[in-house]
Amino acid sequence: MWLETILAIGMVISAVFAIYLKETVSSVLSLSTMMILLSLLYFNMNAPFAAIFQLALGAGTSAIFLLAGDSLTKRSNEKTSKKTLLMGLIVSAFLSVPLLIGTVVPQSFTQTAEFSLSIALWDLRAIDVLAQGLVVLTAALGVVLLLKEERRRK
Amino acid sequence: MDYIILSVTILAIGIVGLVTKHDLIKMLIAIEMITAAATMNFVVFGSLMNDSLGQAFSILALSVDACVTAVALALAITIFKKLNIRDVRDLSEQTEEEPPTVEES
Repeated sequence: MWLETILAIGMVISAVFAIYLKETVSSVLSLSTMMILLSLLYFNMNAPFAAIFQLALGAGTSAIFLLAGDSLTKRSNEKTSKKTLLMGLIVSAFLSVPLLIGTVVPQSFTQTAEFSLSIALWDLRAIDVLAQGLVVLTAALGVVLLLKEERRRK
Repeated sequence: MDYIILSVTILAIGIVGLVTKHDLIKMLIAIEMITAAATMNFVVFGSLMNDSLGQAFSILALSVDACVTAVALALAITIFKKLNIRDVRDLSEQTEEEPPTVEES
């Protein structure tokens, strides 16, 4: 009960700071913290596969993409003032109140997660998985074409 | 704990960030937040219904989300290299001042 509440409040605080902080690197780190806490929440809900994907893609890959994007573009010299930090803390404290008041209902899967997920993914949603592969390939092709076009111009 | 309150709070923070921030990377961070809040609902409702389909959908959504981030960042890098702009307000001014011709586009 308390663990979920602490994780949720931590998520709200890191989400607010990801938006409020002026330095992009700090924002990305705050976002990664939020994603790590979200994956811990998934683990707590006994949803391990979603948690691992959240950790790998949400916290890891996206953070690397965003940091690479930040380093490849011009950085702003703005620094977060103490007033902004204080404002972020006040906003996150205000937004955490509904989470403290909210009713606590522990939720978890009772069936064997591994077995039922493999059925759900490969038997029920096999076409979706194939279509998703197509989406990933199209996205990769799009990124390659966008960056190749830039090289040609140079 | 009511996970829906958490999901709505994260979604609201993301929307506020998307509306108020003008930096391309910051806007992407806000979009990441919005998609994380939306994906969370799949797992929460899946666990409420005691069904693993929610986890399967969340895995699919997370993979597509990573693709979206990659393409959006490639666009942001291309815009920066071409116009030396990272602020969307400057981008709007640029397009208003110099409408692209057919040859350029």
